[in-house]
Amino acid sequence: MRRSGLTILLIAVLICIIGILSIYSSNYEKQGDAWRMIYKRQIGWLFLGLILFLIISNFNYRRFWDISYILYGVVIFLLSLVFISGAVRSGAQRWLKIAWFNLQPSEFAKLIMIIFLARYFSKKSFDEVSLSVSKFGILRALILPLIFISIPAGMIIEQPDLGTGIIIIGIFIAMLFAAGVRLRYTFLILLCGGLSVPVLWNFLRDYQKDRLLVFLNPNIDPLGAGYTVIQSKIAIGSGGFWGKGWLLGTQSQLHFLPESHTDFIFATFSEEWGFAGGIILVALYYFLIKQGIAIAERTSDYFGKLLAYGISLMLGIQVVINIAMNLGFAPVVGIPLPLMSYGGSSLLATFIALGILVNIAKERAVF
Amino acid sequence: MRVKIINLAITFIFLFIALGIFNLQIIQGARFKNLSDNNCIRLLPQIGGRGRILDRNGELIVGNYLSYDLMLLPQEKSQSDKALALISRALGADLADLKDEFKQNYISPFIPVMLVKNIGFKKAVSLGELKSDYNNIIIQPKPLRFYPYGKLASHVIGYLNEIDHWRLSRLKDYGYETKDIVGFGGIEEKYDYYLRQEDGGLSTQVDHRGRFVRVLGFRPPVDGKDMQLTLDIRVQKISEEALAERKGSVILMGPDSGEIIAMASSPDFYPSLFITKPALAMASLRNSALINRAISGAYPAASVFKLVVASGALETGKINQSSTFICSGAARIGNRQFNCWDEHNAQDLANAITHSCDVFFYKTGILLGPQALHDYALKFGLSKPTGIDLPYEAGGFVPDPLWKKVYRLQNWFDGDTANFAIGQGDLMVTPVQLARLMAVFANKGTLVTPYLVKGIDNKDVSAYRKRNAAIAIKKSVINCIRQDLRAVVSEPSGTANLLSDLPVAVAGKTGTAQASGGKTHGWFVGFFPFNNPKFVICVFLENSGSGHTACALARQIIEGMSRENLI
Repeated sequence: MRRSGLTILLIAVLICIIGILSIYSSNYEKQGDAWRMIYKRQIGWLFLGLILFLIISNFNYRRFWDISYILYGVVIFLLSLVFISGAVRSGAQRWLKIAWFNLQPSEFAKLIMIIFLARYFSKKSFDEVSLSVSKFGILRALILPLIFISIPAGMIIEQPDLGTGIIIIGIFIAMLFAAGVRLRYTFLILLCGGLSVPVLWNFLRDYQKDRLLVFLNPNIDPLGAGYTVIQSKIAIGSGGFWGKGWLLGTQSQLHFLPESHTDFIFATFSEEWGFAGGIILVALYYFLIKQGIAIAERTSDYFGKLLAYGISLMLGIQVVINIAMNLGFAPVVGIPLPLMSYGGSSLLATFIALGILVNIAKERAVF
Repeated sequence: MRVKIINLAITFIFLFIALGIFNLQIIQGARFKNLSDNNCIRLLPQIGGRGRILDRNGELIVGNYLSYDLMLLPQEKSQSDKALALISRALGADLADLKDEFKQNYISPFIPVMLVKNIGFKKAVSLGELKSDYNNIIIQPKPLRFYPYGKLASHVIGYLNEIDHWRLSRLKDYGYETKDIVGFGGIEEKYDYYLRQEDGGLSTQVDHRGRFVRVLGFRPPVDGKDMQLTLDIRVQKISEEALAERKGSVILMGPDSGEIIAMASSPDFYPSLFITKPALAMASLRNSALINRAISGAYPAASVFKLVVASGALETGKINQSSTFICSGAARIGNRQFNCWDEHNAQDLANAITHSCDVFFYKTGILLGPQALHDYALKFGLSKPTGIDLPYEAGGFVPDPLWKKVYRLQNWFDGDTANFAIGQGDLMVTPVQLARLMAVFANKGTLVTPYLVKGIDNKDVSAYRKRNAAIAIKKSVINCIRQDLRAVVSEPSGTANLLSDLPVAVAGKTGTAQASGGKTHGWFVGFFPFNNPKFVICVFLENSGSGHTACALARQIIEGMSRENLI
C-alpha cells in the first residue's frame, strides 16, 4: 500500500527534522566544535537511515522469517562482543567500535527480538492452516520464549542498560498479548514480574536504585539523582503555550538540563516550542504508531501481522516511556526518544523497523 | 477483540501524556517559568552610597566607607566545602563556625548565602583572588556611614536606623520599603529624600555551574546627594567641648542670614552605634539624649524676655529712655510681694537692662498690659517654631489672658503680668527662638529664619529659602535696646560683665529661670563683635546654673573662637 508507506516516511522525516533542530539548539551554547557539529552527524545518520529504509522497504520481509534464528545468534554474538571489547562511556559498556562509528547492538536487539518472537508465535501446525498459538501450553507459550528473551535482555541489563532491557521485556509481554496467547499466561507473567521486583531490586546498581527512589520523590536529592527530573520538568513547564523560541530555551542552552540532546530531547524541544509544539510532536508519534497498527490489522500473513504489531508497540512503548520520563511520570532509565534523540544506532534501527513496516504494507497484495 | 484493546490502550496512553504536558506547561506553567528564571538569573545588588554631610568649608562631617560582605552561592556540596575551607584559611575563621553559618543562612540553591558581614578591605582583596577559582564566592561591597568626629553635632545630623512602622506608613508613597535604612532626627531625617541612595543591580544569566554567561540588565546605583551645612565644624567642636557633660545647649548663628554655625545639645550620642548595634545604642541613652535641646526643648525665657517688654514699652510710649522706677528689692503687686534679685534703687531703662532689675520690668509690664506683652512676644517670633530645617522643632508657648480664661478657667491678675514680664510663668521658649530674638538686635531689626543647609549636591539652595522679614518694631527702639545690651557686658555692674575683657566686644543678656522643682536654668544670649556682629550666641544650661554660669560658658566659647581666629 503506497499511501501508508508514504505517510510513514513523511512523518518519520518530519520528526527527524524536529529532532535535528533540537539537537542543534541543545548544543548551540556548548564550547568546542565537536559539540556544535553534532547535528551534522545526525543529518548524516538521517540520510543513511533513509537509504536503509528504501532498501528494507523493498526487501521482502518474509526473508526475515527464514533468517530469524540466524539473526538471534548474531545478536547474542554482538552482545557478548560488547562485554569483551565494548567501548565504555559514562560508566556503561554498550558500544562496539566499528570503523568510524560506535554501534550500539542493544538498539538492534530490540528489533531482532521482535522478528524472533513473530517467527516463534506464527508457527503453524502441519495439518491445518489455522494458528496453533492459542492452543499452546505454558511451556511453549511462556517459558520457552521467556528463556530466549531473557538471555539478550539479561545481557543488556548487565551492560548496564536497564531501559533497553525493560523495553525488551515490555515488547515480549505486548507480543504475547498481540499473538493471541492465552490471557492467563500474559497475566501470569505480569504477576511473576511484579512479585520478583523485590528480589531483582538487589541486583540493581546503586545509581539505578537512586533513580527509582527519586522517581517516587524527586525532592529527596535535588542536586543529585533528582536533579535531572526536576530540571526536565522545569524545562517543559517553563515553555508555556508558545515556548521560549528556538535557541532561546534557558534550561537547555545553559546546561541546566543534562542529556538535553539524547534522552531529554523532548524537554529541550518542549521548552523552546511550548505546548503547541509538544502536542504536535505527540500527535505525529500517535499517527505513526496508529499507521503501524493499521498495517498490522490489514495484513493477513500472520508473521507480518505480528511483526507489524511488534514494531508499532516497540515504538509506542519507547515514545511513551521516554516522554513520561521527561514529564516525571516514569523513572529515569536510559531510553532514547525514537527518531528525535541523537544517536546513530537508534535512528538506523528505527528506520529499518519502519522499512519492514512499509514492506509489510506493500507485500499484502501478494497474498 | 485484542486489537481493539491495543488501539484503545494506545489512544488512552497518548491522551494521558498530552494531559501531562498540558498540566506541566499550561496549568503549572507560570510556576515553572518562575523556577526556570530562578535557575539561571542571578540578581547581584549594587548598593549606592548615602549622601555625605559636609560643613560650611567642605569639611566632612558624615561620610561613607566601603564595608564588604562575604557571600557564597551554594553549588554541589563538594565545591561549597572546598570554598568554605579556603575562606576559613583566608579569614582565619573556624571552619565549623562557617559551616554552621552557611547552614543557618541557606535559603535555596539559587540565592547567595550570607557568610560574614563587614570583612575588612584587605580580607576582601585576598578573598577576591580566590574568586577566579571559585566563582561561587561573592564579595559584596556596601557603603556604610562613617563619622570622623564621633559624636560631634550628633543632634544636627541625626542617626540611621531601619525604618519603623510610623515612618513607613507616611513614606510608603515615596518609594520607601520595609527594611530600608532611613534617617532618624536631624538632617538625616529632614533631608532623607535627598540623602538616600538608589540601589542598582546587575541581573546576569548564569549556567548550571553558576558561571557567568551574559548580562541581562544593569541599573547603576545612584549615590545620594551631598548636603553642605552652614555649620563650622571648628566652632561646633569648641561649643561641644565647652558644654562638656552639662545638660543644655549652645547655638551660634549668623545674625544677618540665620545660618546656624554651631548647634550643640547635651547629653549627646554616638550615631555610629546605631549602625552596628541599634539595641545597645538605645539602651545607652540617658537624660533624653536624643532630644535636641536647642530646638525641641522649651524652657522659661527668664530675664531675656525683658528685651521684649522693653521693646513693647518703648514703642508704645508707655515709658521712654529716661523713665525711672525705684527698686527697693521688692514690689507689691496686688496682695503679693514680688522680689527683685537685688536692691537697685533708681533705675532707668538702660540701668534696668544692665542690672536685669525685676522691679523695673514688673512695673513696665503692668503698664504695658499682658495682651501687648503677648503681641510683642509674637512679633519676635515666639510661640511658634522658627522654621529651622530640622525635624521636631518645638514652638514654645506665650500666654495671654484669654488663654488663661479658656484653658485654666481663671482670671488674669497683675501678678501674672509681673511674672510674664520677667519671662517666668507659663512662657516657654526654645533656645533657637531666643537666638533669633537676639539676632533682631544684632542685625538691627530683621527677624531671620534659622537654617542649616547651605547647598544640596553642590548647588546653593539659598534662593529657595524663606525670606527674612523686617520686624514690625521701630528701628530707633531696637537700636536703643541694642546699646543697652552692650552695657550689660561693658558696665562693671552689668550682669554679663564677665565677658568684658574678651578681645571682642560682646553684647547680650543673661537670664536665670526658675525651673519647676529643681535647680535654675541659666541663659546667656548675645552677639559679637558689637559693631559689626558676625555671631549670635545662645547658651542654655538646664538645671545647672544661673545666668552667670551661662556667661562663663559663653566666655569659654568666645575665647576658644578668638584663639583659633574664627571671629
